[in-house]
Amino acid sequence: MVLKIYGFPFSTATRLVVFVCKEKQIPYELITIDLFKGEHKQPAYTKFHPFGQVPYIDDDGFILFESRPIVRYLLKKHASQGTQGLLPTDPQAEARAEQALSIEASSFDPNVSGIVAELYFKPQRGLSTDEANLARLKETLNEKLDAYEVILGKQKFLGGDSITVGDLAHAPYGTLLETVGQGEFFTSRPNVARWWKEVTSRPAWEAVKAECVL
Amino acid sequence: MVLKLHGARMSTCTRTVAVVARELNVPYEFVDVDFAKAEHKSPAFTAVQPFGQVPYIDEDGFKLFESRAISRYLAKKYAGQGTKLIPTDPKDEAVFEQGVSIESSNFYPHAFGFAFEKVFKARRGLTTDEARAEEHLKTLAAKLDAYDVILGKQKYIGGNELTLADLFHLAYTQFLITLGQGDLFESRPNVARWWKEISNRPSWLAVKDGA
Repeated sequence: MVLKIYGFPFSTATRLVVFVCKEKQIPYELITIDLFKGEHKQPAYTKFHPFGQVPYIDDDGFILFESRPIVRYLLKKHASQGTQGLLPTDPQAEARAEQALSIEASSFDPNVSGIVAELYFKPQRGLSTDEANLARLKETLNEKLDAYEVILGKQKFLGGDSITVGDLAHAPYGTLLETVGQGEFFTSRPNVARWWKEVTSRPAWEAVKAECVL
Repeated sequence: MVLKLHGARMSTCTRTVAVVARELNVPYEFVDVDFAKAEHKSPAFTAVQPFGQVPYIDEDGFKLFESRAISRYLAKKYAGQGTKLIPTDPKDEAVFEQGVSIESSNFYPHAFGFAFEKVFKARRGLTTDEARAEEHLKTLAAKLDAYDVILGKQKYIGGNELTLADLFHLAYTQFLITLGQGDLFESRPNVARWWKEISNRPSWLAVKDGA
């Protein structure tokens, strides 16, 4: 049975799962959950995802949610096909890839998602931007990306000299950050800019952006 | 050479690595990072940890930061000793990772957010945004409702065995309790049962008041 991804085409977490499926040449079926109609909060959905978020996968009856565990599971299951090295097996290389994924989850995602919420999602819902919060989030993101600039001056990617899932995980929210006019976070830092261009120019990411539309 | 844990005794993330090391029976040498002297922002420190945060480990020259990455590395390297903290069966491992992600995406941002408003801001001379603090608590309560459902179906947050996913909750839950928010956990029967069990493990009792 083909892998089923229950998600939303513009959801960053859904896009990460699709990105990894494309990198690893894993066939999948993306079933759209209508977030605008609150489908993700209905009992039929929360039965499988108790937090009422997207996405979750159904891999021949095996249900899993949270995008980073989903991609780890898929990377391990389909290790021999598609792009290699996204989750290394050598203990120290694996630790560095996990360090990179943790950096993304702790230092990048919360600040970027907060900025995007203030600049885009809140106004879309008729709420006003909290300027003080926005300023604080931008300041924090700047500090974090200054550290990225140092790291990426010493090595090609966040987990070492080869691309890993930790780098890929930045693509969905980073692209959204650019869409809301905040691309300067990347372009103003030479090493970050170089890295960002490399991650986002991958054919698999281009394919995600082309395909994951309503 | 014994594992070196560079951190701050009461830092939540430092104590997380400490509790993991103890569960694995991995001896470590605690190396204090002097926050009062801003040692964590010094060039010597940021050369290893560019974000200027604690902890990091130094294992015979191999350095690693991010407490969850460190914990995973130790749990895999020392899988043959102490408590088994990461399952080996692929599906069990995936459910374990789901538990870890639940903590970092659903629990931590609001636990930290609340602590930030009520405690960390004051330390930096900033004023608490009470509305935001309340919002974090409200969200946390809703998240813990989902935890109660999950923990009604499985013994631990990462499956039916104790894993790193449970241990990752220890430091911030304790912090929330000291900030008077214990009822979030006590009022939900499955969450209360789970919390009582994990918080009474000898490994946690040994480090909860200092790594």
